[in-house]
Amino acid sequence: MRSSLRHAPRALRTAHPALRPAPWLQQFHPQQPQAQPPARKLSTTPPAHHNPPSPTSSSVNATEISHFSALASSWWDPHGPSRPLHLMNPHRHDFIQACLASSPQPNPTPTPLRYLDVGCGGGIFAESAARLPTTASVTAIDPSPQILAVARAHAKRDPSLGSGKLTYLSETIESLPLPAAPADRFDVVSVFEVVEHVDYPAAFLDRVGEFVRPGGWLVLSTIARTWTSWVTTNLVAEDILGVVPKGTHDWYKYINEEELRAYFAGKDGVWGAPRVMGVVFVPGFGWKEVRGSEKVGNYFLGVQKVG
Amino acid sequence: MNTVIGRRSAYVCRSCTRSLQRQLRRTYASAASQPDIYDVVCVGGGPAGLSLLTALRANPVTAHLRIALVEAQDLAKTRSWKLPANKFSNRCSSLTPSSVSFLDQIGAWSHLERDRVQAYQEMQVWDGVTGARIEFDWAQGSTPAAGTTIAYMNENLNLTSGLLKRMYELGGVSVFDKAKVERIAYGEETEELDLREWPVIHLSGGKQLSARLLIGADGANSPVRSFAGIEARGWDYNRHGVVATLEMEEEGWGGDHLKTAYQRFLPTGPVAMLPLPGNYSTLVWSTTPANASRLKSLSAKDFIATVNAAFRLSPTDLEYMHTQESGQAEEYSWRLEHTPVDHRAVPQVAVGVQEGTVASFPLKLRHADTYIAERVALVGDAAHTIHPLAGQGLNQGQGDVQSLAKAIEYAVSHGQDIGVTMSLEPYASERYAANHLLLGVCDKLHKLYSVGSGPLVPLRSVGLNAVNALGPLKSFFMNQAAGNGIKVF
Repeated sequence: MRSSLRHAPRALRTAHPALRPAPWLQQFHPQQPQAQPPARKLSTTPPAHHNPPSPTSSSVNATEISHFSALASSWWDPHGPSRPLHLMNPHRHDFIQACLASSPQPNPTPTPLRYLDVGCGGGIFAESAARLPTTASVTAIDPSPQILAVARAHAKRDPSLGSGKLTYLSETIESLPLPAAPADRFDVVSVFEVVEHVDYPAAFLDRVGEFVRPGGWLVLSTIARTWTSWVTTNLVAEDILGVVPKGTHDWYKYINEEELRAYFAGKDGVWGAPRVMGVVFVPGFGWKEVRGSEKVGNYFLGVQKVG
Repeated sequence: MNTVIGRRSAYVCRSCTRSLQRQLRRTYASAASQPDIYDVVCVGGGPAGLSLLTALRANPVTAHLRIALVEAQDLAKTRSWKLPANKFSNRCSSLTPSSVSFLDQIGAWSHLERDRVQAYQEMQVWDGVTGARIEFDWAQGSTPAAGTTIAYMNENLNLTSGLLKRMYELGGVSVFDKAKVERIAYGEETEELDLREWPVIHLSGGKQLSARLLIGADGANSPVRSFAGIEARGWDYNRHGVVATLEMEEEGWGGDHLKTAYQRFLPTGPVAMLPLPGNYSTLVWSTTPANASRLKSLSAKDFIATVNAAFRLSPTDLEYMHTQESGQAEEYSWRLEHTPVDHRAVPQVAVGVQEGTVASFPLKLRHADTYIAERVALVGDAAHTIHPLAGQGLNQGQGDVQSLAKAIEYAVSHGQDIGVTMSLEPYASERYAANHLLLGVCDKLHKLYSVGSGPLVPLRSVGLNAVNALGPLKSFFMNQAAGNGIKVF
């Protein structure tokens, strides 16, 4: 798996089909997309066109990790390839705040909050969550030791992140020990720009969901698999302009909002009704919340553990 | 010189206080010169710097930030500033209603001596060569919702004193006054912290302050701007602004309730008479350095006569009076007999000048290439210096501060590091274009009216009369002056 680095240009590409992707994105993908976006059910078994997954993990892919590691140095460059992620970050907080504020009352969310950030990358979200006065602690995990070295070195630049408020761990969600008592699990588990890179999203989300304490929130963001994202990221960028080698995008891995809704609804009352917010990248401005755009491109989804 | 005022607000944040304390303990054991760590260090305790710190302290979202103020002067003196009711400082500024509403919002406005502040409701602006005139009165323009006040005349010291009172009332700012900034350098890397991108302010006496965000509110020759390597470009006008506090024959043609600001464009620069409470006014006269030094050398009687002449006689008469070493009073009364003057269209007659208030300063235009760098933000005169003809300098600084405080609030509430350019970008993009526009407009007006003869003169008077005839355009100009319309054209 994944870390958000890879996602920066991908997020941009939904708005800028002509943008040249970073070299590490140009992973050859032999199969052509079908003309019709196929329906998808989140699966625990690998789709035929995916690389064989590592046997012990639903999320980690060794090739991708080495790609991210090579790009670690540009992670915190505000004008580098991660700029869209930096610009996205405040919206993550706004979305989390909206989720927390909407909590139905049986389990009012206590403050200060304990966060688990899965696939933290260089720590853009993890650092910002740790700085909030309402935060007790942030545990941030990523499988790439090189990326975590960048994250740790960057956190050292801010005295407010010292003394244990922010902890980076080189773990996958499978290897991270699950706190035994449900109450010791996390108030907010965040999975930003991760699930679209995961081979078995259902198994991955099953595991991630266990880390949410009763009454806590699972918050994620990803890209819808639609005509628009197919046209911008596959047809235009790859077939027409040819700036991207054919098959670069794992468009099949994009997950639609209704597929996630179906997944969470199928968990027998464990999860409440999802909250969704669609965002669109506007060049020269940044990300903008656009109602209904969750059906088209990038979107956030949050669910509260009620059962 | 280091006074921590009010309740000591402790921190960068609660957890890092602990790490700080740990570090400080170690520090005191080893080297006493280790810097103190602050979220915000503001260099410069003028209106812009004080407004910013007060705004940050007054806002619950930013009130926990650890803040330091560095100022060369003795702030206790400024804070206890007091003048008798019939004496006024010669350094006054026009505050627009939007600046006043910001000052009110941060709780500072009520700390000013309000009976020393004078609102004005009308402006009279005319061309000294052709007599073409714009009458800025609300009757012909559209009255804005804010009321009929165009702006408020106020002594700068009344503002800084009020801001200091409010800042001390809020508490939580470490004040280093009577302190000289010896140098600004970058921090170091230790085992636990990497402060190589953090500015460290070295004060005279050895004190060192590390800044997550260093604010340059340190004036036109900003050392913070130099440290950040930001160029300020522009030019000198080869003009000086002569200021003085004048006593007028009465309270003004409209009495105490309808005050008027007057400005006449002379070929040497604009001369403005702005109302203060009662029968006092403040003078701002932009003129050549030679005229300025002559004006400063005149006796009170001759000075007053020259000021009255500046609003009434022809530029030629005035030019002659500037050549006289003395005797302007006699010259003026003789020449006035031969000059038709509509007395109600010019300020009332000045009858006295307060002792020691005649002074001058050079005028220039400067604009910094940018307002932000990594862990640095410039506000007020450190970012821009404007021609005083529109009375916008101080208001631009207040606009900067309001915008920067908003950007910091957003960054704090979203967990961003307030010092990085990513957090400061909204401030720079909001303010740079607006300030640049206003700098340019005032500069062009100055240049346009600096021409005494030739084809530009009749053209510009057509311009002024045309402006007077066009209601919507005129109300735009008025709103601009009132700070309601500082928008891109």
